[in-house]
Amino acid sequence: MKAAPIFEAGSHRWWIIYDQDEHRVIDSNVYVIESNEQTIILDPGGFEIFPQVFAALVEAVPPSSLKAAFVSHQDPDIASSLPLWHACNEKMEWHIPKLWEGFIRHYGALDAPLQNIEDTGGSIIIGGRRLEFIPAHYLHSSANFHLYDPEAKILFSGDVGAALLPPGHDAWVDRRDKTGRAFAEHISKAKYFHERWMPSNAAKKNWIERVSQMDIQYLCPQHGAIYSGDNVKRFLDWFDKLTVGTAII
Amino acid sequence: MNIQHIMGVVDASFAARQSIEKALREIDRRALNAMVLVKRHGNALAGYGVVAQAFRERAATLKDSAAHLQESIAPLIEAYMRILQHQRFSDSFEQMLAHNADHEKHCPGLRSTQKKWQIIIVEEEAEAKAVLERLLEMVQLLQEGIEEQEYVVTNGRIEAALAESTGAPLMRVSREMGEAVRTVALAIRSYRHQLESLEHESSTHL
Repeated sequence: MKAAPIFEAGSHRWWIIYDQDEHRVIDSNVYVIESNEQTIILDPGGFEIFPQVFAALVEAVPPSSLKAAFVSHQDPDIASSLPLWHACNEKMEWHIPKLWEGFIRHYGALDAPLQNIEDTGGSIIIGGRRLEFIPAHYLHSSANFHLYDPEAKILFSGDVGAALLPPGHDAWVDRRDKTGRAFAEHISKAKYFHERWMPSNAAKKNWIERVSQMDIQYLCPQHGAIYSGDNVKRFLDWFDKLTVGTAII
Repeated sequence: MNIQHIMGVVDASFAARQSIEKALREIDRRALNAMVLVKRHGNALAGYGVVAQAFRERAATLKDSAAHLQESIAPLIEAYMRILQHQRFSDSFEQMLAHNADHEKHCPGLRSTQKKWQIIIVEEEAEAKAVLERLLEMVQLLQEGIEEQEYVVTNGRIEAALAESTGAPLMRVSREMGEAVRTVALAIRSYRHQLESLEHESSTHL
């Protein structure tokens, strides 16, 4: 896996860690935010890819800067690496959906400091910057959050926007393309994922309404590639029209 | 494997690598300044020109070597983290064996599975050690490059003294070159010590 910068403004930085070498488990992106030498890692990934993620992470930030992890939901590709991160840094706080606490502890770190996020959402301060936990329940998990950075105008959108891409894929949906052709090609690899994993059209509509009010430059999913600029709006429009929860009906 | 020691070394390596990168950029800048100064004074500084050219070429080689250093640290860290990962399995089986006195009777495969993980870990430790040794060899090459650069700086000082009558600020330029080289030499030495402490730990463990 490799770490690539997404955003930088002084001491405020975002990276994506992407394109894993292990192909027997679903390809996942891990995001890293550093603010004034404090770091939070978003959806730290599965147990199997931990060595790769950690090696890529320390290309970008020192491990001692890790203060927290954000877990969007309970799935193993998101949080089963918890005991390994905990072994590396016992002080790291884990911000998780409250509903999933007892489930996430099954990954094997009974004494890890878990901080529950209430259903209504919340926020965290990292290096003096406030990051918001945005409710995204039933997209796809029944207790699910996204994370918004209002200064960087970046929304980490968990499984929303995910695409199943082949090894060696780019970190971005082509940013130079103004025609929308690159988006159209990319989204064909996202369609089945959203039809099959997103269960609720009502939850989807509600999320689009809320997210449309936000100023978003980059929409960063946990699988696939980042949507930027016009592609953010293209994605929201596409998702709005898609009927979800129907792939096997 | 003491994971907290490894975390400490990874942290220190991160700082050392940043320091090396910064110092190498500085060397490159100083080398360019020296070249510009020589061009400005024409033939009068021809001797110093040779030194400045050598300084710049070696600066480029050092940057290249440092880039390889960066590429090699990731496999080392990955190897250590894989050991941490597999140690979890080994520990789980160890606990099961400890809590089940009749394991030979009830679950004869338990002992062999635990042994299998131990063998995997020993192999991975040997692999990590090999990666570490390669990395130390690269650091050694980088240190040799720095020593050559120090030699060039010394020659630069001699040429600067010989060309003092031209009025060009060669002594200052040489001093700045020397400072930049010394900074990178210290950073590399500190980096090497950190890697050697890892090597010492893995040797004692194996």
